Amino acid sequence: MSRTFKIRLIVFQGCCFLFTLFWFAGVSPATAADAGAIVQGAINYLREDTSESVAHMTIHRPDWERTLTIKAWTKGQSDSLFRIIAPPKDKGNGTLKKGKEMWIFNPKINRVIKLPPSMMSQSWQGSDFSNNDLAKSDTVIDDYTHTLIGEETHDGKKVYVIQSIPKPDAPVVWGMQKLKIREDFILLREEFYDEDRQPVKVLTMEKIGMIGGKLYPLQWRMAKADEKDEYTRIDYESIKFNVDLPPHMFTISNLKNPGR
Amino acid sequence: MEFQLAWRNIWRNPRRTVIIMIAVIIGLWTMISLTALSRGMVNDMIENGIATLTGDIKIYPAGYHDDPSVAYRIGDADQIVSGIKKILPAGTRYARRIKVNAVASNARHSGGVTLAGIDPEMEKGVSFIGNGVADGRMIAETDKNAIVVGQALLEKFDTRIGHKLILMAQGADNEITSRAFQIIGVYRAKLTSTEKQYVFVNLSAARKMLGVGTDISEISISLTSHDEAEPFAREIRELLEDPDIEIYTWKDLLPMLKAYLDIFDGFIVLWFLVVFAAMAFGIINTMLMAVYERMREFGLLKALGMKPSLILRSVLLESGMLLVIGALAGNLLAAGSVAMVAAKGIDLSALATGFEYFGMSSVIYPEIVTKDVVLANAVVVILGLAVSAYPAAKASRITPVEAMAHV
Repeated sequence: MSRTFKIRLIVFQGCCFLFTLFWFAGVSPATAADAGAIVQGAINYLREDTSESVAHMTIHRPDWERTLTIKAWTKGQSDSLFRIIAPPKDKGNGTLKKGKEMWIFNPKINRVIKLPPSMMSQSWQGSDFSNNDLAKSDTVIDDYTHTLIGEETHDGKKVYVIQSIPKPDAPVVWGMQKLKIREDFILLREEFYDEDRQPVKVLTMEKIGMIGGKLYPLQWRMAKADEKDEYTRIDYESIKFNVDLPPHMFTISNLKNPGR
Repeated sequence: MEFQLAWRNIWRNPRRTVIIMIAVIIGLWTMISLTALSRGMVNDMIENGIATLTGDIKIYPAGYHDDPSVAYRIGDADQIVSGIKKILPAGTRYARRIKVNAVASNARHSGGVTLAGIDPEMEKGVSFIGNGVADGRMIAETDKNAIVVGQALLEKFDTRIGHKLILMAQGADNEITSRAFQIIGVYRAKLTSTEKQYVFVNLSAARKMLGVGTDISEISISLTSHDEAEPFAREIRELLEDPDIEIYTWKDLLPMLKAYLDIFDGFIVLWFLVVFAAMAFGIINTMLMAVYERMREFGLLKALGMKPSLILRSVLLESGMLLVIGALAGNLLAAGSVAMVAAKGIDLSALATGFEYFGMSSVIYPEIVTKDVVLANAVVVILGLAVSAYPAAKASRITPVEAMAHV
């Protein structure tokens, strides 16, 4: 689940960067539009219409590490449901995102909590992803100005480097993002910068392979720029795209009572 | 005649007289100046408390005091203000605000703050933010995304003027709403906890962010004197009689300060009595010595037919002179030293962290309150005369025969 969100997020943020191009002398509006299209394409590629996936999320810290197995469903850009299925200690914990709102369910206290603003910037399940990273993922395309600032070649394929700068009014904490998107719309890297253009965290996609009938990054890794030994890694075990999801999938009652 | 006699008598042993006078002077000086210092601290706490968006009287929508959420709002603020303007004296200031809890974040930090949507003009004389900013500029009517934060918050968030701050809060529709603001000014408050807590934006920007139309969450009223808060609050309550509105005074909103103030008044009396007790033994001792030295004189006067009450009076007059002269000098000394210290204040910034815990600033300005001075002088002079009654009674009861036997 986390993975999908992350991907979405990354893509959106990438879009934002594209807009930034103004900034660079001599960039034509057409280029900006192209960059936006690339970012949009990458987001669409990652999410498709609907998806159902199983992933292992490893949270690594200098003195400990833990792995959660997460099942995730997504629909469009705004709805998603994550449920932890292993280890037994965390099993049943769920997060539902609908539009801009999020709810979490903890089976130990059998309670659904709607996330208040104060919790939005806290990390999701102790990972390097914040609740905000998940909740705001669908606003990112509109919030940023994307600019194509370069092209690279990776494994014989063209890779677009896109700089995304948030629009002045956009409620985005980042000062800039930098996206690397392969010509087949696979997002390879997303860097988050603060307003002084210092890197804060970096999301990298590794091990691109066939899954769910298409090429997809199988390993995602979110790391803080200034902490060497702290990261969160997501390894996809399976993913299916454009599956039929029951209408009650993204409801609070489904968050609470899976399968009913 | 009697005064002259008493005056000459007390200077028969100048060293002893000066010593006991010094005791009275130091006693009064400590009473008055230490009380002034404590008053300065308490007043400072009150001023800080009231200036930190409390005000003398506050009008809240019903429910807001217990749960400061955007769900409770006042819709007809202008009507309320124009109504109460009629009963409150000129010079009273009114500030309308939106105040909600919010979360501020930037790329690296996030934390809880209180978002206050203000009209900077209205805040003048009502709250500390009306004094303006220390750095950058104050928010103006036309600013849409400008925010003013405290110096401590700026440091905590590792940011600076010109940078963005994203605020997140619950909007009127119960959805989470967020908005990007640009830091344009930095204010300094007396307490760093205040600097970390409050962020200020334009009233209209806050209204727009929270989706509350033209509603507000509170009206803060600043009177010319803090003591008038209660009677005026009662009048406003009678005038409005609106179940959707609650009226509080600063004493209701700062209950700890009120309790502290009450305890403090009792504490001062206790403190005066303790200082006096130490002084009283000196006075009794001196007067006893003076009386015993002159026992033969008193015996002679008695033999000549002097009434005991006249002897009593003359001894009390002597001790009264000692006390009054000492008290006058003590008052002058206290007034002088307090005025000297108050000009610059006492800088306790080395202890600032501990002081902040009590809501005090690091610079204390002592303040002399008339009622404390009257109390201190009354305690010293009246109780001083009371304890001198013992040596005076001894002198008045002497008989000529006893006096002859007296060495």
